[in-house]
Order: sequence, then structure tokens, then C-alpha cells
Amino acid sequence: MRYCEKCGVHVIGSPPCCPLCQGPLTGEADGNGNVYPDIPFAGRPHQLLFRLLALGTVIAMVLCTAAFLCLPEHRVAALSGIAGLASGWLTVGIAFKKRGRPLKAVFWQVCVLSILVLAWDHGMGWRGWSLNYVLPVLYTCTMLAMAVIARLLHLRPSDYLLYLLLNILLGLIPLVLLLCGLLRTVYPAVICAAVSVIFLAVLILFEGPALKGELLRRLHL
Amino acid sequence: MKYAGFPRWSRLDNAAKIFPSNSSAKDSKVFRFFCELREPVDPQILQSALDETVRQFPFYCSVMKRGLFWNYLEDSSLRPTVSLENTPPCLSLYSPDRKGLLFRVFYFGRRINLEIYHVLTDGTGAAQFLCTLVHRYLLEKNPKDFSDSPPKLTYTASHSQLWDDSFQKYYEKPPLPKPALTRSAYRLRGERLPENRLSIVEGHMPVDALLTCSRARGVTVTEFLTAVLICAIHAQMRLRDKARPVVITVPVNLRNYFPSESARNFFTTINVGYDFSRRPDDLDAVTAHVHRCFRENLTEKRLHERINALCFLEHNIPLRLVPLLLKDWILRTAARLADRQATAAFSNVGKVTMPAEMERYIHLFGAFTSPDKMQASVCSFQNRYVVSFAGPFCSHDVERAFFRSLVQMGIDVEVAANLPYVE
Repeated sequence: MRYCEKCGVHVIGSPPCCPLCQGPLTGEADGNGNVYPDIPFAGRPHQLLFRLLALGTVIAMVLCTAAFLCLPEHRVAALSGIAGLASGWLTVGIAFKKRGRPLKAVFWQVCVLSILVLAWDHGMGWRGWSLNYVLPVLYTCTMLAMAVIARLLHLRPSDYLLYLLLNILLGLIPLVLLLCGLLRTVYPAVICAAVSVIFLAVLILFEGPALKGELLRRLHL
Repeated sequence: MKYAGFPRWSRLDNAAKIFPSNSSAKDSKVFRFFCELREPVDPQILQSALDETVRQFPFYCSVMKRGLFWNYLEDSSLRPTVSLENTPPCLSLYSPDRKGLLFRVFYFGRRINLEIYHVLTDGTGAAQFLCTLVHRYLLEKNPKDFSDSPPKLTYTASHSQLWDDSFQKYYEKPPLPKPALTRSAYRLRGERLPENRLSIVEGHMPVDALLTCSRARGVTVTEFLTAVLICAIHAQMRLRDKARPVVITVPVNLRNYFPSESARNFFTTINVGYDFSRRPDDLDAVTAHVHRCFRENLTEKRLHERINALCFLEHNIPLRLVPLLLKDWILRTAARLADRQATAAFSNVGKVTMPAEMERYIHLFGAFTSPDKMQASVCSFQNRYVVSFAGPFCSHDVERAFFRSLVQMGIDVEVAANLPYVE
């Protein structure tokens, strides 16, 4: 074992200097005595792709802003470019961050996309396409997608019930809007509501106790 | 334990409730408990021993989930796998976006390392788990030596006793909370290691030499080493910092005062402060003051008051009704304020015992945690006392002053570090 004369301590393993004072050591090093692996500060090489993408986005946004200022006749296109880039980053970012829990990621995507399509519809002069078509189709597709993902990944009920239930509740919103006279197109909202009710019935009939348990856990005080 | 497809779940214990809100890459709230054997670890036998051990501690295979009001633990089908240590110590174990176990087992050379997220258990609970793992490992590794009468561990608690939340057991009545206004403590400064790495410096020393030093001053080893730590911090304080007290947070194992077999969190903390602007700066004066603080704070009555105060917050109806998202912010702010009142922490995990027949296979036990500031954790096994400093700073000034003080008192110290090249 090596020894530091300044500190008066024996040093385990084979460090080149005293860990306490960085002074020289005397004696023989014990190469097999290291108790920690040598893990170099490597940085995060996988972040290079992220940084390149971020740089590309910044450049694209700068160009869009320049076009907005210099070309008054193309202002809508320039603003759409900026909004499109922001939307893309938001959705991809959430999908990446929540990739470890697939159904949670899907549900978050549904929420973010709902807000984004409403914002885009509003920004483009509100024609109602978001409420009439996009949201009912989105909710119907995600309910089916959640069921397929849960089956394919053999998820336990506690891993998907909550997100499926929340998606079902979202799927009933178009029907409520239709009954309030806020929608012009009937079919997508009715299909979405029908699929939601069928899914709800399946959940209650086949997973009722598990669903109750999941709600008790999630809402416990 | 599982009932016909229904996952078993549990509320977080009182101490665990604060950890998820305050976990970050900088301060992962993960701690390590390690055992160094006399021979290199066999990974296959370790895996087999781990499989057996989690059968005895089934709740260790839980994952944490977020509810609307509180986080909770739910059992999972995940099972741990041992691996060669190839990551920095105490990396984060919990992320709300990733389903994973709250503990992991590494091996490196002769060491078995158990890393646990503090939500799951405290040092005593982790010691129970690690001792069981080492016990099973040694039985499998040396079957001939133990074939006649395999040595047994002394833990006899049932699954429900191990999973018991002892805070609730000893909670009596809501006290009137008295907001205590205390001065901000001196805070250690310095360049931090990149990548949120932890710097670990271990000192190994004989128990009998430490006992001689502490008994000569009429105090316990914990009190003595806390005083040495306060003096080591004082040695590198700037003159203008001396207006602030050096405050050491000391976790207290409540099982020593209130009977409990729980393998979950059951601890509280006391703060021991020393104001160098008003008191003498020699070790004997600091030791006497620390001894007095320990004696005043470590009484059953004081600790019961502390349990009641901690549980009062948890039983407060308006606070319980606050959504978890907002609770996270409140708890984070409260922890940040409490953090300002402490300079460092000193945690005595205690004496680890193993069956006498197995002691010859084991060199030492030790522990450390991932603090945002500095923390010294101590642990003893037979005549070997291990003091492990963990902190985010590049500099080892406090550790150097601490160990040099012990060397000057005639104690033999062996040092090991994970980042010996950093200056």
C-alpha cells in the first residue's frame, strides 16, 4: 500500500498522487486494490445530434424572422414556419422525454396536439376544422392505438387503465360540443363518442375492479 | 405478496414523501451501501443470491408512481440484475417518465455495492437487505464451509413488519407547530465536479483507536467525529464567514428509541451547530458542546415531538388536498429553506453484524449518500471503521483536515477515493 508522508495516511489502490493533498506517494501501489472503477469525464456524445438539430432550428427560425421583416407579402408563411418548428420541437420533445412509458407518452401527445391544432385553427382564421374533424379523429385513433400498444407490449392494467380512461373522457368532448350546437359536422363526433362509450363499457365490464383499484391509488389522500 | 392480479401498493412513509420533490440530477437522493469481501465477487452467484434476497424483501421490487395528491409505491414484475460497476456513484434511480426499480446492485473487484433511492428505505433498512444478500452469497459461494449448520441472520421480521410505516405507529396527536427561526448556517463553497459527479473519499481506521480517543473525552464516537468534522470545516473557513455557525445535520435512527422492525424509512434528523464567533475553536470545547447538543436532543420525548411535528404536516387536511404538482413546489421550497440551515451532514449507519462464521470472508462495510452539500457517513464492522465523505466539490480540503486530525491523534488511516486525479 502506498503512503503519503504529508498527510500521514496509507492510500488504497494505485492513484498517482494522494487523494487528499495531491502530494507524492511512497511505496508500492496495489493494482488490484482499486475499489472504484476509473470512469472518465466523457461528456455526452449522443447530444451532438440534438445540438445539430437545435442549431438547424435556430437558423431556420432566424431566416423565417428575417423573411417576416423583409417580405411583408409572405408574413403568414414566415409565421407559419416559426409556429411549425415550435410545434415540431414540442411534440418530438415530449415523445422523446416520455418514451419509457409508452401510453403516458401517447396521452401527453394527444393533449399537446389538441392544444396545437386549436391554436393553428385559431391562428389561421378559425374555420372550425380542428373541432369538427381533427380532434374526433385524433381521439378515436389514439383509443385504438392505446388498446393495440397495451396488447402488444403485454402491459399490466395498472400501466394503461388511467391513460385509456382519460382518453375515453376526452373522446366524449366532441359529442358534448355537438349537443351544444358548436359543431357543424356530425359524423366524426358521433363515431368518436360511440368508440369512447364502447371502450368505457369494455373497461367497466372486463377491468372494473382493476380500474377501481387504479383510481383509488391515483386519488388517495 | 400479490392477490389474484391486483398489484399491491403502498403510500410513501412520512420521510419518503419529501424525497421525490427534491430529487434531481444534482441531488439524486440515492445512497450506496457496500460490502468488501476478502475475494473477488462472483457475478453469477451474486445474481442467484440477489434473486433469493428479493423474495424475502418483495417490496423492493416496487416502482414509484404519481397520484393526483401523493406519490405511491406499486409492486412490479421487474426484477433486478447485477452488473459490473461502470457508472458514477449514486446516479438517479427514479424518473416519472421511466418505469424502473428503485435500487440496483453492482459489483467491482471485491465489492458488492447496493444503491437505493431513499424513498424505499433508510440506511438501517438497506443494511438489512445488504446483509441478507451477502449472507446468501457467502452460503452459495462456500457451500462446503457451511454445509453442516448454515449460519442464520438475526432478522426475523415478517413481510408486513418489514413493510410497516413506523411513523404512523408512533404518531399521537397534532401538536401546535412552532415555527423556529434559526440563523443561516455557513455553506461550503467551491468548484463543482462536471456532469454532476460525486467525489467520494473513504477513510478506514481501527474501531478500538477511535474508541480510545472518544472515551478519553467522555463522549461517543459519533459525537467525537462530529466535533472533528466541525473543526475540519472551520479550518478552511474564510475569516468573514466565521459570523455564521457551522451546522451539522445528524440523521437519527428512530428504531433505537421506538421499537420497530420496519425496513422502510424510520429516521429523523437533528442539527448540531457551533458558532466559532462566540465560542473557542479548540477540539475539546467543540466536543463538549456537541456532546451537550446530542444529550439535549436525543431524548425519547424530544424525538416523539419531532415525529408528531413531521406527521402533523402529512395529516393536515388542507395540505393533503393540494395537488401533487403544487405540493412538489411547496416541498422543494421548504427543503431549500431547510438546506440553508445546515453546512454538512454526518450520518452514523451504525455497527453491522454478520454471523460469526462468516466474518472471516468479509473485510468491511461502508455507506455514503449523494448530497447536494457534503455528507460524511460512517459504518463499522468488527474492528474496521469506515468514514465515507461524499460531495459535489473538486476540492478535498475538509476531508484532508478531518483525516489529518485523526492521524495526529495516533489513529492509522487508510484512504481510498473515486476521483484521485481531480484537483
